[in-house]
Formats: sequence, C-alpha cells, structure tokens
Amino acid sequence: MSARNYRPLQMHRIAYTDLTESQVAQALRPTANGPSSRSPLSNALAGKRLEIVTDGGGPRLAYHFRTGRELELSENGGKPIKAGYGALESRDLVLVSHMIPGTQRGYKIVVDRRTRLATVFEVSFSGYAKQEIAAAAAAKREPQFKNGHRNREAQRQIWFGYVADGGAAPTARHTYTNRLEGKGIYWRQDNDIEILEFYLSVIYSNFIELTRFGGEMTVCAPSDYVMIDDHQFIYSRIECEFSGTFTLQVVDLFDMTQKGVRLGLTDQDALEYYMYTGNGELTGQIATFEVFGNNGETRTGPRRVYRPLETFDVMTDEEVKDQVLNHAHAFGDGKGSGAAGMGGYKSEQITHFAGKKLTVRTDNGPTIDYDFTGGNKLEWRYGGDSHWREAWYEMYEPDDQLYFFAHLLDAEFPRSCAMVALDMKNGLATIVKGTTGTPFRNNETHPSYYFGVFHMDGGPTPPTYVRHGWTDELVGECVTWNYQRGNPGLTSMHFYATPSTYSWIIFQPDGSGGMQWSSPGWYSKLRDGVYLMAWVEEACNGTLGVICFNKRIMHDAGFGFHVGRNGLSLSVIGARARHAGKFEIKKYIGLNT
Amino acid sequence: MSTRRAFVLKGGAALGAGVAATVAGAGMATGAAGHAATKGGASRPPDAATAGGSREQDPGSSSIEDREALRRLQLTFAALLEDERYEAAAALFDEHAHLQLSGASARGRAAISHLFASSYRLQEAPVIHRAYRHRADDVRIGEDRLRATATFHVDADLCTPLQDDCTIARMARLQGNVADRRWETGRLEAEYVKTGGEWKIASLTYVPA
Repeated sequence: MSARNYRPLQMHRIAYTDLTESQVAQALRPTANGPSSRSPLSNALAGKRLEIVTDGGGPRLAYHFRTGRELELSENGGKPIKAGYGALESRDLVLVSHMIPGTQRGYKIVVDRRTRLATVFEVSFSGYAKQEIAAAAAAKREPQFKNGHRNREAQRQIWFGYVADGGAAPTARHTYTNRLEGKGIYWRQDNDIEILEFYLSVIYSNFIELTRFGGEMTVCAPSDYVMIDDHQFIYSRIECEFSGTFTLQVVDLFDMTQKGVRLGLTDQDALEYYMYTGNGELTGQIATFEVFGNNGETRTGPRRVYRPLETFDVMTDEEVKDQVLNHAHAFGDGKGSGAAGMGGYKSEQITHFAGKKLTVRTDNGPTIDYDFTGGNKLEWRYGGDSHWREAWYEMYEPDDQLYFFAHLLDAEFPRSCAMVALDMKNGLATIVKGTTGTPFRNNETHPSYYFGVFHMDGGPTPPTYVRHGWTDELVGECVTWNYQRGNPGLTSMHFYATPSTYSWIIFQPDGSGGMQWSSPGWYSKLRDGVYLMAWVEEACNGTLGVICFNKRIMHDAGFGFHVGRNGLSLSVIGARARHAGKFEIKKYIGLNT
Repeated sequence: MSTRRAFVLKGGAALGAGVAATVAGAGMATGAAGHAATKGGASRPPDAATAGGSREQDPGSSSIEDREALRRLQLTFAALLEDERYEAAAALFDEHAHLQLSGASARGRAAISHLFASSYRLQEAPVIHRAYRHRADDVRIGEDRLRATATFHVDADLCTPLQDDCTIARMARLQGNVADRRWETGRLEAEYVKTGGEWKIASLTYVPA
C-alpha cells in the first residue's frame, strides 16, 4: 500500500465552485491542444482518414488524422476544424479523445479496427441548466438550482455506429451491457493514481480514490457500460454532484489493462485533461440479480442521476430547533413504530425487561441508569443524577440473549438518542448516541460510540477489560436488504467498502443494479458474526441508521434517527438479508488480510 | 419496449380489428371479443386526438361502427395509461365524467386530469393501474346512439407504490420501482356520451372479480 494523502474534505463536503459558462470555456481552452499522457500516445491513426457513421440521429464524423497529435474533423459534412488529439490502443481498439476548439464539447471515440464498429461519446459542458429547465417544464415545476447551474459538470451523449469504408455497413453494434455488473477492479495508472472501482449497477458505479482522497470514502457516479466483446468493455462515469469530471476507459479483462481519458475541473478549478494507461487486479465478482437470459441493458428515457445535494433540504438552526423540541416522536409515541418504511421485517418486540432495572456504564462516555417501567416505556437518568426522565423505547433480540433498544434523550437542542446493545451472556454493552447536527448541516445527525458494560440484578458479571470494539470484518461484503413484503418491495444492497464508509444500491425493476449513493459508515463487533453497523446519510437526508446485523440468521434489528420538516423521529429498522458476495480489497486499503 | 409491453399493445390493438369482424358477422347489438393475444398483428391504437371518432355523426353509420369506436376509445385509454401519457388519457373523458380506479377517484375532467398528474404521476395513489389486457367486452349502444355503456373484462396490472419517504424509497421511486406489482382479474364498467359527434368516457369504474 502506498502512502495515502488524506483530504480535509471528502467530495460530498467540497463546495465546488459554481462556475459560469465563460469561466468553464476559459478553463477548457487548453483542451484544444489535446490531452497529455504519461504513457506514449499512439500514432496508429496518423495519416489516416476515418469516417464514422452513427445511428439514431447521431453525428457523421469525417476525420483526417494529419499526425499522431493533430486532426481535422468535419461534422455532418460541415467545414473542417483542426484540433489536437490523443489516442491509445487496446488490441484492435483505438481510443481517441479530442475537443473542438472554441467550444465546450468534443468526442471520445472507440474504434474497433477489426470489426469497423465504433462508439462515440459526445462530451460537453455547461449543459445541466438547459436539461433542468426542460425537465422542469415537462414536469410543470420550477427549475431547481440549489447547488448552482453545474456548468462544470460534463454531459455525454452516446452514439453507436461504424466506420464507413465504401462497402456495406456492418449490422452489429457495440451495446449497453450488464456484463461488467458485480465486478470490482483495483487499478494502478501510469500516473501512479490508485483507485478501486466497483461496477455494482448497470447505470452507476462506485469507487474509492486511494491516491487522490486517501481511500476513506467510497463515492458514486452515474456510469455507462458498453460491451465490445466478452472481454473488452467501455466504462465511463461522470462525477455528478461533485466536480463533474468525466472519465472513460477501455477495459480489457484478458490482460487486465485499461486505456482511459479523464476530463474535468478539479476542486481548485484546474483543468484535468489527460489520457492514461493502467494495470488492474480483479478484487471480486459478486452476484447479480437479473433473471437468467437478461444479458443486456435496455435504456429508455433520459439518464437517471441521483442528486441528493439538489433535492434534500438544508434547514436553518431555528427550523431544526423547533422540530427537535416540539415535534419529536419515538416509535409512534408508544403506539408502535409500525411496519412501514425500513421496518417491514422487524422481529418480535421484546417486552420482558418490564420491571427490570440496570445500569450501563461506558468507558469514556455516559453512565445511564434504566428502569424499564413497561414493555415500551422506561425511565432513565445519567449516573449520579437524581432526576429520572420518561421515554418510549422499543427493544429487539437480534441474537440469542443479545438485546438492542433505543430511546430519545433529553429534549434539548441539539437532540440525541441512545441506541443500546446489551449482551446478557457476558455483560458487555455498547451505546451508540445519535445527535442532531454536524458542522455542515443542522438537519444531519452524527453518531458517537461508547463501549462498556452493564450491571443488572441477576445479570452476568461483566468483564474488566474485554469490550465490544471496532472491526473490519465486514469490509468488502455485499448484502442485500429486503425491507418490505411485496414484489419487488423495498430492497437495496449494502456494500461495506472500507471501515469508514459504505454504499447502497437500489435494484431496478428487472433486478439489475440501479442508482447508488454512499455515506460514512462505522462497524463494530458484538459477537462472532454479529455486528453493529451505523451510517449517516450525509449531504443527503441526514438520517443516522444503526443496525445490529446477525450474519447467521441474515437478519437485522436497528433504528433510524432523523430530523426533517416533519419532525424528529426515532423508528425501527428490520430487514431480511442475502449475501451477494465479497470483494477482497483489504490489502489495498491498508488492512491486514 | 419490453416484451410484455409490446404484447399488451399489440394484443390490445388487435382487439379492435378482431371484434369488428366478430360483431359484423354476428349482426347483434352486443358482442364479445376473443382473447386479445390470439388476434395479433395490428398496429397500436390511435392517438387521443382521433380516438372515439372525431367526425360528425353520420346518420347512416351503424351501431357496429359506434361499438367499434368505443372499443378503440377504451383501448386508447389503456395505451395512454400504460405509456403514462396521463394528460392525453384525461382528455378522453367527458367534462363531467367520473373515474373510480381501486381507491383513486375523481369527478370531472379537470379533477381526473389532476388525479393522474398528482396521484398517478407522483405515485401517491394507493394503487396504480399500469396496464390492462382486455379479455372480452360487452358494449351496449343506447337507442338515441348518444349514450352507451360497456363492460370490459380485463386483467389489470396493478401497482402499489412505495409510500415511504426514506432515502432508498425515494431512489426506488425515481427508478419506477413499486412496493408490489401484480396482475388481477376484474372488469371496467364504462359509460359513454357522444357530444359533437365524438364519444367521450362519462364514467369508468374498475371492479375486481
């Protein structure tokens, strides 16, 4: 593992500049000369002419590659323009990248010299606002630009076609595909950039920037997957909601190489436009969930992009304060949390603690006395405090004699809850304290972990030194979670990517992976095969979710803590799991394997 | 277009042609359609603008033509519903029409349009009718040939939307996911009025079998 350069802010916390169109145009000006490259660029096309015909109203591109770095292009029979370009070869494939000088657009082309098939990515900038305005008009709503006009965000159109050579046009085409779905690859590029990529969806991907961001977080980006043949693919992504950078690479699964191009503006608004080569290592292949025989991806309508930064509210201090003090509800205020949302498979509620008293004592955190006055009501007080408070609670048993319950803490701002795990077999206890507010948003939450023990009449004698603790045992695992009855119901897949992050994938109606997003995550171990996993949907809806995941029964018991315009809520999570597979990635992120 | 969807559209469109032949041969005031899947081959139903016959009343036209126009009107409604072209679907209703589909109801064309635009488009209805596979029908033309009633026996593709507001439910809805999707046998009870020479839906109620 190479040295990691951690960043003060991860992508979802960076306030990327809302550049104007002219600023973007200015920043892109050097692209007229073509991309740079650490590896030698190809001269395969030097001196050649190439006419690419595309389907579906796409462009007809007549190229004259005057040298290995200069081309002339006539679009649709128009006046030729000159541009710098770069090319890289992958077996019979040639990847060409160039922009059109004086504009904010250009082409990334993959030509198969053997079959004459070609795929054209037309890439442009400053196009988001136009799309949003059109989408808003179609939906009869006001266009939203909460986070600016995103001129820096690359847009792409994909055209399939062929190279015209005067003979009959080939009938085959490159196609969208799901054949990369489920695969993970570690890449080391010629410019020493290391990255872990995971193709867990047919329209999204997630990746861990080991070099650029230190490998703390995984992030997600809308992506395209195009099949050349059984071992060669085109993969591209656009870092929407972040820098807007476009990446495209030709992936060869025979020799595990990549030939790629990266085009965009950094968080310092500096241009990145380079081509690269890289070598990969397969980190795993997890299950996919389409029916057998579904080997492609049928696209209809515009590309789907999940935009949490655009769609979720950022509330003011006063708004959040009002909600947490005056509109706080735990488990339906004693009426039960129901089986809606993520609680459709909640287990039987445990009520036999009614009449019991115990004290949870954590090492570096709170000591809390409990008096369970009923099956869903308790009284609690901090150790040393004489004042007892009432609270609604719900308790579950995710493993034999391992109990997990939660309740709200004091009615103050910010407001907290306690989620408490009690192990009746050894006296260990862990409190996850959820609290509203982060340095970035008041309507986000954050967790604090406290490991310790509990004392109860008739309970076990707790150990002196042994504690629950942090774990990396789940790193690389993929687990589907079915939250509700029905077909397909509410189902997602968790990918536990590093000890500090995870990603979730929403299945599409045909069972393929769809939209994804990610967040920080925390993992602790309660017993062999039983874990507490927590996440906060940062820069999203701000919810803290904490689940106690029992791998033996593939079930969880957990709680969600959320504040929004509908109040503050503490609710139950209960879902059924399937194991989808595992990526062997620990060695790439500095963990012992 | 999915295979199932193509099947429904082709089958649905075939119903019109098949029924016309059946009814013409029988020479009866009411007719029963065969199974759509066995008819095959015809193009999809006409657009909303032409559905139901936009021409003026021809005194010489037969009730057979009226029945055929009503079947085409109903097929057009089904096709528009499946394509989620809700505004066009609402335009097929009379100004004072009544709609009742599995708990989603509205009275008046404006309210029906609003129901489709909000409860259906935003997946807020308790149950959404996504498609119909027509099985048989019974169309009855009034003596004045200005009103009609019909019963369409259908298999209905019913979806229960995801109602939750959690992040994954929001993401799932963006992808068109639903909490539950099932086919159910039932019938559409319809009433029609002809104004200005054009048939409009005056009432449409879905009744599960």
